[in-house]
Amino acid sequence: MNQLPKCAWHAKGTGFRRTVSKMAGAQAQLLQSEQRQRRLDGQQQRDNSAAAATEAAAAAAAAETAAVCPHLSLEQEPAVARIHGTAEWQNALAYNEIPGPKPMPILGNTWRLMPIIGQYTISDVAKISSLLHDRYGRIVRFSGLIGRPDLLFIYDADEIEKCYRSEGPTPFRPSMPSLVKYKSVVRKDFFGELGGVVGVHGEPWRQFRSRVQKPVLQLSTIRRYLQPLELITEDFLARCEQLLDANEELPADFDNEIHKWSLECIGRVALDTRLGCLEHNLTPDSEPQQIIDAAKYALRNVATLELKAPYWRYFPTPLWTRYVKNMNFFVGVCMKYIQSATERLKTQDVSHRAGEPSLLEKVIMSEKDEKIATIMALDLILVGIDTISMAVCSILYQLATRPVEQQKVHEELKRLLPDANTPLTIPLLDQMHHLKAFIKEVFRMYSTVIGNGRTLQEDSVICGYQVPKGVQAVFPTIVTGNMEEYVTDAATFRPERWLKAHQGGTPGKLHPFASLPYGYGARMCLGRRFADLEMQILLAKLLRNYRLEYNHAPLDYAVTFMYAPDGPLRFKMTRI
Amino acid sequence: MFCLLLRHTRNSRQLLFKQVLKLPAYTVKNALHTTRFLRHGEYEWQDPKSPDEIVNITYVDKEGKRTKVQGKVGDNVLYLAHRHGVEMEGACEASLACTTCHVYVQHNYLEKLNEADEKEDDLLDMAPFLRENSRLGCQIVLEKSMEGMELVLPQATRNFYVDGHKPKPH
Repeated sequence: MNQLPKCAWHAKGTGFRRTVSKMAGAQAQLLQSEQRQRRLDGQQQRDNSAAAATEAAAAAAAAETAAVCPHLSLEQEPAVARIHGTAEWQNALAYNEIPGPKPMPILGNTWRLMPIIGQYTISDVAKISSLLHDRYGRIVRFSGLIGRPDLLFIYDADEIEKCYRSEGPTPFRPSMPSLVKYKSVVRKDFFGELGGVVGVHGEPWRQFRSRVQKPVLQLSTIRRYLQPLELITEDFLARCEQLLDANEELPADFDNEIHKWSLECIGRVALDTRLGCLEHNLTPDSEPQQIIDAAKYALRNVATLELKAPYWRYFPTPLWTRYVKNMNFFVGVCMKYIQSATERLKTQDVSHRAGEPSLLEKVIMSEKDEKIATIMALDLILVGIDTISMAVCSILYQLATRPVEQQKVHEELKRLLPDANTPLTIPLLDQMHHLKAFIKEVFRMYSTVIGNGRTLQEDSVICGYQVPKGVQAVFPTIVTGNMEEYVTDAATFRPERWLKAHQGGTPGKLHPFASLPYGYGARMCLGRRFADLEMQILLAKLLRNYRLEYNHAPLDYAVTFMYAPDGPLRFKMTRI
Repeated sequence: MFCLLLRHTRNSRQLLFKQVLKLPAYTVKNALHTTRFLRHGEYEWQDPKSPDEIVNITYVDKEGKRTKVQGKVGDNVLYLAHRHGVEMEGACEASLACTTCHVYVQHNYLEKLNEADEKEDDLLDMAPFLRENSRLGCQIVLEKSMEGMELVLPQATRNFYVDGHKPKPH
């Protein structure tokens, strides 16, 4: 029965995207409605087949009516998982029949060193993941891992969709054991019951997320940051111009500059302050330099800590001690700026408060608690710097090596911003379809985060196998996004596939769950809107006024902690 | 030797604790005001203050059961449903991350709604049982012109199984 929805996808063939017919011209409208009709037909088929299958299941499990919903069973905690009564479960193959490398001679111990899925993984995981798929098929079991649950790689977008949809109110995303230990053991005095959102699960996660997610994801908050982030980006581009050498090329350590830019942006968002990381000639003991170093340290060593030397789990190694010190520094910085934000709020006259309050103000005002704001800021900073900066490295490299695509984005920008000095607005950003499509396409082909994961909280049937709860399901978005099965002409870099017909989009298959860099559902990336905004502003400002080229040997992509080009980004940057 | 190392690191950690870690955790009291923009559905629990504010709408659930509801201008359709016990889920609490508040809007009312944001459109692509008149309930805010609107809930919002799943607001 797991085959059924898949067949439906095949039958559907084209046009997964919802299209807005209101805006289209007559011809486009015709095309679109046809496309949508096809889409709806496809879905109808899928609905029918799924419904038929459910009927069969329901008939078999006569006593149990609503058997397949984990959301429901979570609340009721039945003695035996209800799914066991269904035909789906009974007809499924046993868990240990799932193919996969049984001992681990090929991969050695590296797999044991892969404690989290998504954030930080070892260098060849992207390749290994793809090899696993070629060798074992659409579901691969990785068992026999010391001290950790089995990993289950799922390369089937329909099954991934099913997992996301049935994840219940508190999805469990395994991540960053070192941060978990820091929060729950080392600094229990500070964090107490407030773990934040990263590496926290169940009810504590839901409560914390619920308290911060509205202000963080709300579009009205995001809008407020357009102008401040634009200012930072202008400073960054001015700095880039000064860094150019005689050949108009950026220095070999340009990734550090991108890093500083993202640090400055996140500081502005999470701490309501300009950290000053983009200043020239920072002295080693200045605060911005210390913050840069600390962020870099966290970036470099979290991977080592989690992957190569996990001994800190048993006793405090020197590396762990330094990590703790580094984290304490971050907590200190966050607290300092958040206290001053609170002071500002207290002393400020209410009538002087013009317009939309900042994210920090919203959180402090609604929670009456600086601690929540501090922990939120800490989480945003820890996961928001390297993800965004590595994504930007990757996007800029792709732009520089694809002059034709770059030209298309430039022309779109020139049309929207005839005067180069026009300040950006949300309606303008909304019209930058090509720019956004380019970002989406980079994420599809070179997904910065190679995958996402969920710990199954219920026994489930996946790809026709009985999978017990507790197993870590891995959704390798970098592989599924490149599978011909889900994406037409997957090997071609074609941003137009993300555009709607009236925007010049090309029709074709695009499974909505094949390329999901930010995840989906209640546990979707909390910083997504800010990440999108930061990247869009940078590209809009950069590509409106400059041409980016790369005239050196091609770079390989590698996973250090993120999947990004590995090597000096010596872009040539010329004003247009 | 090993023990020494252990003790050493433990000591240094304690030292660290004393100097850096004993920052007091501040709590903000008084002085701050919570305003309307941060509502998590509290606003929908207030009754309309005047008759001009009233907007009557009807929810139709997947069994065809109709629930007539008196809302008011500015009410979010998702939270209004929660107030009146209509089974609209809203797993991500209106933060545009899921599709569990998917509804069908009566065709003649579609144009009275604000046009769907690109982010909403992207999410709708992922909704099961999508139709031309699909919208996310959490993005619909009542206006006077929506008087009499009917919102129909899809067969399911989580998966393709029509499974008798009873969503509970989170």
